[in-house]
Amino acid sequence: MSSRPSIQQPPTANLATLADPPIRQIDGAAMDYFLIELVATLRDSAAVATARAKKVEQQMLEAGLIPPPPPVPLSLKKESSARDSVTSLVSRTGSAAGSKSGFDDEEEPVRQRLESIGMHVGANFSERLCRDRPMFAETLDAIKFICKDIWAACWDKQVDNLRTNHRGVYVLQDNAFKPITRLSSWESRADAMKRARLYAAMPAGIIRGALSRLGFNGTVVPEITSMPQCTFQIKLPKGA
Amino acid sequence: MATSSKQYKNIGEDLWKGRSEKINAELFALTYGALVVQLIQDYEDYDEVNKQLEKMGYNIGTRLIEDFLAKSNLGRCSDFREVGEVVAKVGFKSFLNISPTVTHGGPPPPSSPRPTSNASMSQASSGSSFTLTLEENPLAEFVELPEEALEGGLWFSNVLCGVIRGSLEMVQLQVQAEFISDVLRGDESTEIRVKLVKYLEEEVPIGDD
Repeated sequence: MSSRPSIQQPPTANLATLADPPIRQIDGAAMDYFLIELVATLRDSAAVATARAKKVEQQMLEAGLIPPPPPVPLSLKKESSARDSVTSLVSRTGSAAGSKSGFDDEEEPVRQRLESIGMHVGANFSERLCRDRPMFAETLDAIKFICKDIWAACWDKQVDNLRTNHRGVYVLQDNAFKPITRLSSWESRADAMKRARLYAAMPAGIIRGALSRLGFNGTVVPEITSMPQCTFQIKLPKGA
Repeated sequence: MATSSKQYKNIGEDLWKGRSEKINAELFALTYGALVVQLIQDYEDYDEVNKQLEKMGYNIGTRLIEDFLAKSNLGRCSDFREVGEVVAKVGFKSFLNISPTVTHGGPPPPSSPRPTSNASMSQASSGSSFTLTLEENPLAEFVELPEEALEGGLWFSNVLCGVIRGSLEMVQLQVQAEFISDVLRGDESTEIRVKLVKYLEEEVPIGDD
């Protein structure tokens, strides 16, 4: 066999691909319905979990085991009255991040859960995608992998625009981001954008998870200024 | 119209091929798995998780049936037996690309068949059932259940039961769908039993006449 002119791939590569089980697929519409209901289900479960945690905290407070939560600083109080209902749990866990992306605090637990589900999916899926590839030489190569392979596998296209400041910040722009293309709200455009931000949380998690499995621990923030365009800002720590 | 099992299989295949968007089943499996983990962390009660998964499935099912009816052009099923065939060979095939085998339930109880509003459903009476045996479960692709979940009674793929219940309720069939065995739990096979509870009357919305 080795004397055959090598127009084809070497036999071992063919055998390896034969050994892979065929790629299983499921219907896209079913997946969309599933994702919609996933958000609703997570909203309920987040409410249950937060209520339970608040109860425990209240009990501990009454038993005098923990000091009462520090008074909310004036600057935060001015922002919106919704802040007053922030539980000390939520304010502890990165309210700074929340204020940056402008999320409602009620949605923050849901957003967090969506992101962590996304991270699980992104990490494991990118592992499988990278199976036969050599390691990435540079950070930029890893980002390009995300822009091309992950995007194509999850959302059937590639990223439209990639910008970087060469100092660890990358901005990925998708002009027709699949999860939000079909999203509309009967209330208003602004409401549709608000909901879209929530639905962009899981994809942000997918990107973040993929990066982390490749060894880059950074943050990913989705931004939607006009539907269906979506940008993701990736911040990687220096020296990555 | 008596459609044979093989014909349903072909209809299912055609529908699957005709679906315009298909996604990698691994993404689905990973997402669902992460969701179940999150629910377990939030509710801390396996029965409640089972219920929530079923509820989620119910909502999904109510939407899926519309899609299904629109694309498949299948008419009313003549009896519950046919419902089982359609669910297994056409329903599951067109959305999940799997073909569970269907075994129809025992003879209906000796009590006389109740008159139903739907005259074409002559044979069935409540108590009929069918069992779906899933040889492959796309949800459980990377899953192994820990000891606690096994003891706690988690039915990992309970969303499927909800989907069946939700979609059939939209076509006026009230059913009870539940898992009776699951390979994730160490059983021989993964089986869902679907039992007909009753036919639902078409109701005129209040204030409509």
